[in-house]
Amino acid sequence: MNTIPLSAVDKDDHQPATGTKSLIHRLAALLPSQGPITAFAFQNPLQGLEDQSFVDVLRQVEHIYGCEPFLQEGVYRKKFIDGRITVNDLSEIVAEDLKPAGDYRIAGLIYCSELRLSMLTHSINPGTENELRWELGGIEAIRRFRDDLSHRDRENLVDSTKRWVTSDFQGKASDRAFGLTAEELFATVQKSISRVHLGKPNALPESSWETICLSLLWKISRLRMKSTPRYRGKSVVYLRPRDLLLAAVKADSDELVHPVLGRFCSAYLDQGYAHWQLPGRDQGFFNAFLSLFSAGGHFTSRWLRPLGKEVKRIQQAGMTAIESLEESLLCLGIRPQDKEAFLTRSLLALRGWAGMVWQTETRPDRVYVPSAEGSLIDYLAVRLLLDRFAIAWIANDLLGYRESLTQLSSFLTAHFPGERMGESVEHRAYPILQLAQLHGWTPVQLAELSNANWAELIREVESFSQFERRRVFHLAMERRLAHQALDAIAARASLPHSKPDLPRMQVFTCIDAREESFRRHIEEVAPDVETFGNAGFFNVPMYFRGAGEAHFTALCPIVVKPKNWVVEDVVLSLIDSDRQRANARRWVGTATHQFNTGTRGSVSGAVLTAVLGPLFTAPLVGRIIFPRLTARMHRTARGLMATPPVTRLRLERPDGTPAGPDDEGIGFTLTEMIAMGERALRDTGLTSNFARLVIILGHGSNCLNNPHESAYHCGACSGAPGAANARALAAILNDRRVRTQLLARGIAIPDETHFIGGLHNTATESIRYFDLELLPTSHVRDIKAAMEIFSRVAERNAHERCRRFETASIHFTPMEALKHVEDRAEDLAQTRPEYGNSTNAMCFVGRRSRVRGLFLDRRSFLMSYDASQDTQDVAILARILAAVIPVCEGINMLYTLSSIDNSGWGSGTKLPHNITSLLGVMDGAASDLRTGLPWQGVDIHEPVRLLFVVEATASALLKIIDENPTIARICRNEWAQLAVLDPHSNRIQRLCGGVFIDYEPLTAELTQTPSSVDWYRGRSDHLGFANVVEEKP
Amino acid sequence: MVPNLLLTFTGIVVVVSPAALLMMLGLTTLFRYKLSEVAISRFAQTCSITGLVSSLCILSFMLVSGVRDVPLEFGNWVSLHHLSDSSGFESESPESPKQSHGDADSHVHQAGEFHLRMKFVFDRLSIPFAVMSFVLCGVIGSFAVKYLHLEPGYNRFFLFFSIFQLGMIWSSLAGTIETLFFSWELVGLSSALLVAYYHDRPSPVQNGLRVWAVYRIADAAFLVAALSLHHLSGSGDFTVMMGEGDWPFGKVVITEQQALLVGLLLLVAAAGKSALVPFSGWLPRAMEGPTPSSAVFYGALSVHLGAFLLLRVSPLLEASAILSGCVVALGLVTMIFATMATRVQSDVKSALSYASLIQVSIIVVEIGLGLRYIPLIHIIGHACIRTLQLVRAPSLLKDYSSLENAIGDHLPPAPSIWQRWFAPSTRERFYRFAWERGYMDSILDDFVVQPFVHIFRCANRIELHCERLLEGRSHSSAVAKKERRKP
Repeated sequence: MNTIPLSAVDKDDHQPATGTKSLIHRLAALLPSQGPITAFAFQNPLQGLEDQSFVDVLRQVEHIYGCEPFLQEGVYRKKFIDGRITVNDLSEIVAEDLKPAGDYRIAGLIYCSELRLSMLTHSINPGTENELRWELGGIEAIRRFRDDLSHRDRENLVDSTKRWVTSDFQGKASDRAFGLTAEELFATVQKSISRVHLGKPNALPESSWETICLSLLWKISRLRMKSTPRYRGKSVVYLRPRDLLLAAVKADSDELVHPVLGRFCSAYLDQGYAHWQLPGRDQGFFNAFLSLFSAGGHFTSRWLRPLGKEVKRIQQAGMTAIESLEESLLCLGIRPQDKEAFLTRSLLALRGWAGMVWQTETRPDRVYVPSAEGSLIDYLAVRLLLDRFAIAWIANDLLGYRESLTQLSSFLTAHFPGERMGESVEHRAYPILQLAQLHGWTPVQLAELSNANWAELIREVESFSQFERRRVFHLAMERRLAHQALDAIAARASLPHSKPDLPRMQVFTCIDAREESFRRHIEEVAPDVETFGNAGFFNVPMYFRGAGEAHFTALCPIVVKPKNWVVEDVVLSLIDSDRQRANARRWVGTATHQFNTGTRGSVSGAVLTAVLGPLFTAPLVGRIIFPRLTARMHRTARGLMATPPVTRLRLERPDGTPAGPDDEGIGFTLTEMIAMGERALRDTGLTSNFARLVIILGHGSNCLNNPHESAYHCGACSGAPGAANARALAAILNDRRVRTQLLARGIAIPDETHFIGGLHNTATESIRYFDLELLPTSHVRDIKAAMEIFSRVAERNAHERCRRFETASIHFTPMEALKHVEDRAEDLAQTRPEYGNSTNAMCFVGRRSRVRGLFLDRRSFLMSYDASQDTQDVAILARILAAVIPVCEGINMLYTLSSIDNSGWGSGTKLPHNITSLLGVMDGAASDLRTGLPWQGVDIHEPVRLLFVVEATASALLKIIDENPTIARICRNEWAQLAVLDPHSNRIQRLCGGVFIDYEPLTAELTQTPSSVDWYRGRSDHLGFANVVEEKP
Repeated sequence: MVPNLLLTFTGIVVVVSPAALLMMLGLTTLFRYKLSEVAISRFAQTCSITGLVSSLCILSFMLVSGVRDVPLEFGNWVSLHHLSDSSGFESESPESPKQSHGDADSHVHQAGEFHLRMKFVFDRLSIPFAVMSFVLCGVIGSFAVKYLHLEPGYNRFFLFFSIFQLGMIWSSLAGTIETLFFSWELVGLSSALLVAYYHDRPSPVQNGLRVWAVYRIADAAFLVAALSLHHLSGSGDFTVMMGEGDWPFGKVVITEQQALLVGLLLLVAAAGKSALVPFSGWLPRAMEGPTPSSAVFYGALSVHLGAFLLLRVSPLLEASAILSGCVVALGLVTMIFATMATRVQSDVKSALSYASLIQVSIIVVEIGLGLRYIPLIHIIGHACIRTLQLVRAPSLLKDYSSLENAIGDHLPPAPSIWQRWFAPSTRERFYRFAWERGYMDSILDDFVVQPFVHIFRCANRIELHCERLLEGRSHSSAVAKKERRKP
């Protein structure tokens, strides 16, 4: 129970040092995998545990991470009342859980499945002990029946109680009530009636009988519960001495350690914000810590004062981090068998910082100032050192304990045995009281149950724990959504393909869920346009540096390491203007930087703030009160110095030169370009019937005042805009040599087809086109028409997005909606510039023609794939899914877990966030580094696992699963749901327990709506599916 | 007469508008009436704008007419006379603004009596300060309206915000030391509550408590100072105790020693509020609330209140050279400390809070050196610039990247004598000192908190001992339990 089974790792290496080292590196997989916040990587926070099944992992997360596995029960119950969870789904899942045991009748009272269902559909469990005490304090709970009881049930209960008390019980109770003595029963009755009609039971009014009945039930349940052992009691395992100390004296040593450790991590990992660097940083984490703490410090916090001496001893002994760590393990009295669990908890106690240490150590290519190898071990050594002193201090201060720490746990166990709080009898009996009412169990029935039957009942009730109930709710919620989605897809797929025969234009977008509505609106506005979806880096992975940018950015998914470098150059004819503007920018930039640093200094600060300060009222007031005007002024001012508008990508390098960031190595070879061009077309199935204009749109987002800005950019480009990738692909496909080679490989791109790269801004809905000056004059008319389409799409898409924003009126016209989303992006105070991929729930991989027109509510990733063009061994699908499944699953799990427990898996509310070390955010003045998504990004997300629907055969999918371990892990362990849609019919099969089984649609009907806006108008919640079919006039 | 009436009316609007906001938000909260976000924002904006426009009117009137001092009387709220037996509320109607100080003399009470007098004064110090408070509170209010959208504590935030704004405006305008103390307390209370805004996490609450505790020390000093001033000069009225002349030309009526005593107490009060040494520890800790509150309260307004107090009582400084020396010394020490501390901070809000402290301490030095208008301008300029910086703090990464793109490289480190002049071992010591924030928290813990804790623990032991004696037997388990409860 207290070890984490990380399979596929041998546990028999017992050489202390190397063993510990590899153990720590193995445990590092449990740390958050988020790197610097400027390159936001969407990865499953539980990636390290993906080799176990989803439910099994969630069963452990509360124990390992202290985070919630599912939403709170009350939230699910509200969804149940609102109809987002149905009783059918609940009972199906209960039945699946129980299998034949569902028909078993517990104690002759109730069927097992019925019991579970009523525990789900009715709120019968008290909250915490304190909440229960509060509720019992209110009289009603024990004096009046539940509100949801039918009249007949009430009568039954009252009648039987009446009978029992007046006749039956007075004479014969003693020999029939197994659980308790006659005196106890009698006393209970007496107590309930004494207030009104002592001794005259027949004359009692009905309401008193209600009270008597409830009091009896309550009394009996409590009395019997006293002697009933708890079903698998929650045994709290104290793994760290800190836990034991916390339980014993309510003083948390982490509260002492974490501020110091967090501040030190922040200083160590700093990417250049602080003026003074940490001295000795280049000697590694451990040594820098030692040298910092060996100097001075006579007035430091009391608990830290003895540390200086210890640090000197370590320095003199020349101990390494791992030696110190082993020593600390001994000092703290950690037994070898507890070592793994102890180190896990210690590592995860401040997991944001620990994770960042690990990230900067293992991905030095992603940061400016990387950490040396072994930093995580250094970190842990420092952490344990601090732990020792904090624990010793608390033990001494509060308990006067001055012995060795090895004996502390036995001392604490001996002196504070009673601190392990169990559940109170009332807390356990309360559900029985509720169930008895719901199912009409009379007091006499409860009293007369045999001990074995009673124990059985309790076992059944208590084994269906809070976790299990939330799990069933969650699965039911997912199931309903999956059913709706699959029904809609099946119904839509049974209709004929919808695809323009002679497309006027073809548009590529990212698979991103935000582009779903964008594509739908394009198709609605211009039915003769065909759209495609592909991962937003368009399979052109590269390090890219734009004109006027200082650094290369990796534009590809986080798991890919690019092999090529690309830069953007200003065209030669504008080179002079470029130089002037670059100088102007450098001058202004330097001045701004000097000013910013100056205001933080002393003398310079005094001069600047006193002289120039009052002038800053203007930008302050302008930025906040008139954001749009100020933004426009800024744009104009920046425009004067911006890089000249005409630029080219330096895409090609000669064959044979190695790729690199220096001048010779920039670009791709022709062979590489041909391969990328072919792949982009084959993956999406666009190999014939090319339109005159093909527009490839990457996407990005812009917003102010937002450390998480990168999370709104393209996830497939590691949180950067995918403009350069789209532009590069367009340039590659326009290249004559590439086209010739493609023709030889069977893809004939007509001469009149022209590709254009662009960037779709998902916040403002604007589109930026690249290399328009290269467009042949013959195509000018086409691009003008395309721009016209996109400007109408922008308004409509903005309008659809606005339904989710509470500050947007539902009466907005499309034009007002567009203005509203533009305002949001420019507002310094706006914490929700857009909702990103929030509400994502499914991913469709297949031909657009099968689902075109389906209203998917911006909840679906859309990847184009044509099974009919795939090879025999489904190589295309295999390479598509190798990227799509992990990327989309990562995005989905991050959203899902962040919305399940926002303060645990996510980064909490944005409002107190404080950027630290230029790497991430803390809450307020000092806290752990917060990873995951902020609340403002997930507050409308409905946490469900992603449903992949792939248009392919089941055998093809099984083959891919068998061959790709990552996909196998995700699909077989149910981190995502998987279904296949037959390419030739509307048959759907779902992956259940490793095999595909047929899915029977619940309904074949699909609502039709003349346009998207007719379907969503006036609604702000999650919407159902519908088919947008233009009414024929 | 008409201009006077108008002036009085405008003055009342300035004083009342923040109070009206507090009433509105406070009463609806009290009666559990839930205001919508839109309603709250409208109220907040209306009150700020009304107050701002009215104070600008007064400012322009003063500029045009040449009047430099417009008092606004709300009468004595409590008045205990030494000889006469009348006590309790003495309902005095607000008097019309007085052009001369002749009338004010009628309010000079005999030493030994006690009165609580509400009076506001519009002069060359209070008007700019009030205008600045209105502008910043108004701007930050509009910022928070959107920034806190859908936040569960929206109403609570604006309630605290209105208390804060009321405290700021009334402190700026306070004409008597008791009015100043009252509003000063409102600022302190709302600041502590705003630091502890996220009360579901432990650290904001702990830090809020810490801020509150430091404020208590400062306020105790202030209270003693106020009482002694009353005692010495017979009145809490600034015009009386500072003697003839509009600010900043007042002359105190007390002796140099008295001025030193009172001044030192007020210096402690100012040091607590402005986070001067040795109270600097709370300033970075106060960055727990939502960004707008940290921006306006600690970056801009609240932290300047100590300096404002020193300006308000500047005639005291002029009366005592030693006092001025102390002010300068305290300012310098704080400046050196804050300059070091800000250089090691690797998170943006702490760095900005220490940067604020540098400027505040320089302002204090300026005041100590006898300057009056320069510190005032410095306060206003610094408040504006720092508010903007704090509000923009979440976009630091974006700003950095655009600066780096402009410069074409990673940002150059600040030119520093640090690397060149100091040996590595010295640097390590300085770094440690700055990194530990001058050990100020632990020093306060040792010398202020610990004695209290010891006293409490001792009292606890005595109580338990007595309990045992009374019950006549020993409850070892009960004792252990109770002792544990005391941290």
